[in-house]
Amino acid sequence: MKRQDPKYVQADDMELVKASVEGDKSAFGEIVNRYKTMVARTVKGMLGDTVFAEDLGQEVFIKLYNSLSEFRGDSKLSTYIQKIAVNITLNEIKRRKRFLSMFSHSDGSEIHEIDIPDSEDIERRDARELVSKALQMVDPNFRVVLIMRLLQGYSTKETAEILGLPVGTVLSRLSRGQEQMRKILKGL
Amino acid sequence: MKKEKLKELIIESLSGDEPDRDLLRQLEETGVSYSFSNDFTQKVINRIYSAEQSGNKNNDFTRLFYKTFYRIAITGIAAIILLLVSIYLSQGSLTIDSFFGLGDGFEESILCVLTGN
Repeated sequence: MKRQDPKYVQADDMELVKASVEGDKSAFGEIVNRYKTMVARTVKGMLGDTVFAEDLGQEVFIKLYNSLSEFRGDSKLSTYIQKIAVNITLNEIKRRKRFLSMFSHSDGSEIHEIDIPDSEDIERRDARELVSKALQMVDPNFRVVLIMRLLQGYSTKETAEILGLPVGTVLSRLSRGQEQMRKILKGL
Repeated sequence: MKKEKLKELIIESLSGDEPDRDLLRQLEETGVSYSFSNDFTQKVINRIYSAEQSGNKNNDFTRLFYKTFYRIAITGIAAIILLLVSIYLSQGSLTIDSFFGLGDGFEESILCVLTGN
């Protein structure tokens, strides 16, 4: 949906949810347009910048669509979508881990496949590649916390709400993740 | 931006309780940002609505199947009831023998057939 429906550009999230539940395609299209970058940051940050990550991004919105009727607006729609994105991505990492553990000693979180358009400025591409590589090498439990901070800009409290963890746990994971990241970046 | 500076920026952005918006903006400017393809929204919409349509087709088939099944089942039950009534009227009872059309003289008559006497 390249062109946005002007009817919904100004609409708030709850209006869009209501209209989507009633079967309005353009309302749901507007939700996707609003939150696709946020989902891309989480999914691609966790899995690397791959085509597969894009498919998983689609899964996030399909799951959202199927559960929209249950959304009561107790939390922000962005938080709700973020939770879905995190769950789907962590499940995918677990699935890969299980699958790869059957055939090799890899833990499944080491995904180095990077798919970045050639036309992009080399410096920008290098920067993203560096962050992608480093993030893929961090333990998934720490990685998700780092992404919430580094790519999404969430506070510790917001991260705790999204991940359903106590603030203390998020803080300790952030600090351990930062430590891992420091070591990894030294070697890159 | 030089690699070392970028590394410093990443580590710095991970410090503290609250994110430093300025650092994050600087990171994004260096290229640390992700997005999906331009037709991402269209792909999502197509997947959702094509799945719904095929779901509707499946529902139509299931509805038709149940409708046909009920018709056959009701006709069958009616036929069984009619059969039982006709057996009761002709045989005067609803025993298994009468159900299979076997009268009182069955054992003797079958013996005659088997022995030829």
